[in-house]
Amino acid sequence: MFKARRRVVVLVAAVCVGAALAGVLLSGWASGGSGTETDVAGSTNAVLYSAGHRPLAPDFTATTLTGSQLSFRSYRGRVVVVNFWGSWCAPCRAEAPTLAVTAEQYRSAGVAFLGVDVRDNTASALAFTRDLDVPYPSVSDSSSQITLDFTAVVPIAGTPTTLVIDRTGHIAGAVFGTATSQELTDILAQVTGKTAG
Amino acid sequence: MTDVRAPEADPFESAAEPDDNRPVGPRSAFGLADWLKWAWRQLTSMRIALVLLFLLALGSVPGSMLPQEGTNPAGVQQYYTSHPALAPLLNHLGLFNVFGSPWFAAIYLLLFASLVGCVVPRTFRLVGSARALPPRAPRNLARLPRFAEYGAALAPAPAADVAAKVLAGHGFRLRRPDGAAPSDGTWLSAEKGYLREVGNLLFHLALLGVLVSVALGGLFGYKADRLLVQGTTFADTQSALDEWYPGHFVTAADLGPFTITLNQFEATYITSGAQRGQPVAFDAHISYTASPGAATRTDNLEVNRPLSVDGAKVYLIGHGYAPVFKVTDARGQVVYDQATPFISGTSGNFLSQGVVKVADAQPQQLGFTGVFVPTAIEINGVLQSAFPAADNPVVSLIGYAGNLGENSGVPQSVYQLNTAGMHRLTAAPQILQPGQSLKLPNGQGTITFTGYVPWVSLTITHDPGQLPALICGMAALGGLLLSFMVRRRRVFVRVRPNGTQSIVQVGGLARIDASGGFETEFASLAAELKAAHDHSQHEGE
Repeated sequence: MFKARRRVVVLVAAVCVGAALAGVLLSGWASGGSGTETDVAGSTNAVLYSAGHRPLAPDFTATTLTGSQLSFRSYRGRVVVVNFWGSWCAPCRAEAPTLAVTAEQYRSAGVAFLGVDVRDNTASALAFTRDLDVPYPSVSDSSSQITLDFTAVVPIAGTPTTLVIDRTGHIAGAVFGTATSQELTDILAQVTGKTAG
Repeated sequence: MTDVRAPEADPFESAAEPDDNRPVGPRSAFGLADWLKWAWRQLTSMRIALVLLFLLALGSVPGSMLPQEGTNPAGVQQYYTSHPALAPLLNHLGLFNVFGSPWFAAIYLLLFASLVGCVVPRTFRLVGSARALPPRAPRNLARLPRFAEYGAALAPAPAADVAAKVLAGHGFRLRRPDGAAPSDGTWLSAEKGYLREVGNLLFHLALLGVLVSVALGGLFGYKADRLLVQGTTFADTQSALDEWYPGHFVTAADLGPFTITLNQFEATYITSGAQRGQPVAFDAHISYTASPGAATRTDNLEVNRPLSVDGAKVYLIGHGYAPVFKVTDARGQVVYDQATPFISGTSGNFLSQGVVKVADAQPQQLGFTGVFVPTAIEINGVLQSAFPAADNPVVSLIGYAGNLGENSGVPQSVYQLNTAGMHRLTAAPQILQPGQSLKLPNGQGTITFTGYVPWVSLTITHDPGQLPALICGMAALGGLLLSFMVRRRRVFVRVRPNGTQSIVQVGGLARIDASGGFETEFASLAAELKAAHDHSQHEGE
């Protein structure tokens, strides 16, 4: 019986070790990268998706802040920078001038910019675009439906988030959080093959 | 817990099995391995398990008495302000995050190990005892707690056969002598009540199951809050949630892709008597889609009547008022036009506070701190609310102009106005009724109180451990009942020859007769045995 007791102790210990191992493996699996994305040099919140592993951006039709209908599909064939923002979002306010400057820099390269105005109200959003001289259109996403559609393919945790979408409608790069000029130009240089002009 | 957890000395078993718990060998050789064994035995003893269970309950007390980081970060801040000396100490002890603290995890894991350490050997024992036969009948049955004796007109062997038939008919497991019956008579052992151990094991396994379920809920579940203004919609994605507390293995991609629109919210209150102002009912009429492109359904949320959608439950947990303001700036441009949720305290008939931030007003940013009063009355010059419904709604506003402090990019609370970079526009609070406007001094613009809409606060929870926890809880209760109600008992029969006839002795022994009743059962069994013997005797005549 002494042996039997020892066997039980060994068994229980094995179960505990097994459970601990499973926990470690699970957590590793949950947080592990897939190896299909690389960080943009010198940035902690910007990523580039390698060709062939770029998630397809969802299509959507929405109303712009000025009241016209916009189909995202009409951007196919162009590189488009999609920025999720809100007039209530202080980091978006700080980021707006950077985006405006970059949009002007890449205008001649054919890069389009589009804002997605999240959880916002048209009056405040229009005031924001007027006040901060945002040179590109925005669609209203007061219900976060467009954000939800994009969340299915990229982990958008909040505003601001900026996605760079290639000519085939796939997401080539993303900045989660406030984008810097450097991060945007690094991603755009990769996607367009051109530097800012 | 029940009485039969791994007993150190078991009088019932000691007759059949040698005591294997005592360490063998000289005492001086009590080395590390022995200490570990001793520690393990202590850990898996019922006493320690009870202590751990008690500590677990005790440990949850500060979790419900002190504000917790996870659920009430504002309350923790408040506590820091009101108890500046005590709060850092409590924080150091993890008392603001009890359920995530190392000491709580230690109790939890030790209890888990204790239960595992108890259940595993117990399972082996149960399997062993299920296979083992009852012990041989003792020589002197008269010494047993229950005893009966009578004469039977049968020879010992057929008398034993009759007794075996009766006891087998009552579900007893039987043991008969191995070889041929000795000349001085024969015997029979019968045992019953194995379900007691099964119930006991079920209880312990179910308790383990409850712990696992709770852990499952913590690791794979989530909780989120969202404030939703009437007439608006939100999609269940992280950026649309106000608060989001995911479990360890939960990512934003695990959120169910549903959308919910608050079509209408109604609150009804008692309008007269001592209970005036008490709520009668809250109804949130919503429409929702379970996933993008799915059909739109309608439902009605009430308190404790949540919506089940896509594996998540959506609870209605609060409501309030969102006054609608329209602000034009110095250039005459509309720079703000929206419902702004105001938050009420716990008392005061929904006297609610909020702020309006107009970050894109020109030439200066504008800010307002306001109070919304659903049924306004003035008592000694102080604005108060007489009723929670909006019977006489007014807002009281204080205007500021300057720098809201948002342009630097530091996120702010939407319920607080940082007036450090601003100057006050009006000396006294300005009171507005719906439709009334306030002209700001120096032509800085106008603010209009255009009306109000209700809002609701929703809590979205996903707890994969809920159903398993319920099932395990019920199984634990069932096991406990089983182990309380079923007694393990043995009945022995000895038949001695008495000429051509025999004398039948019946002895009975119950392991633990906590619920009583073995006396009656034994008496009825003995009577039945006697009747069966008498009956056989008549048949034989």
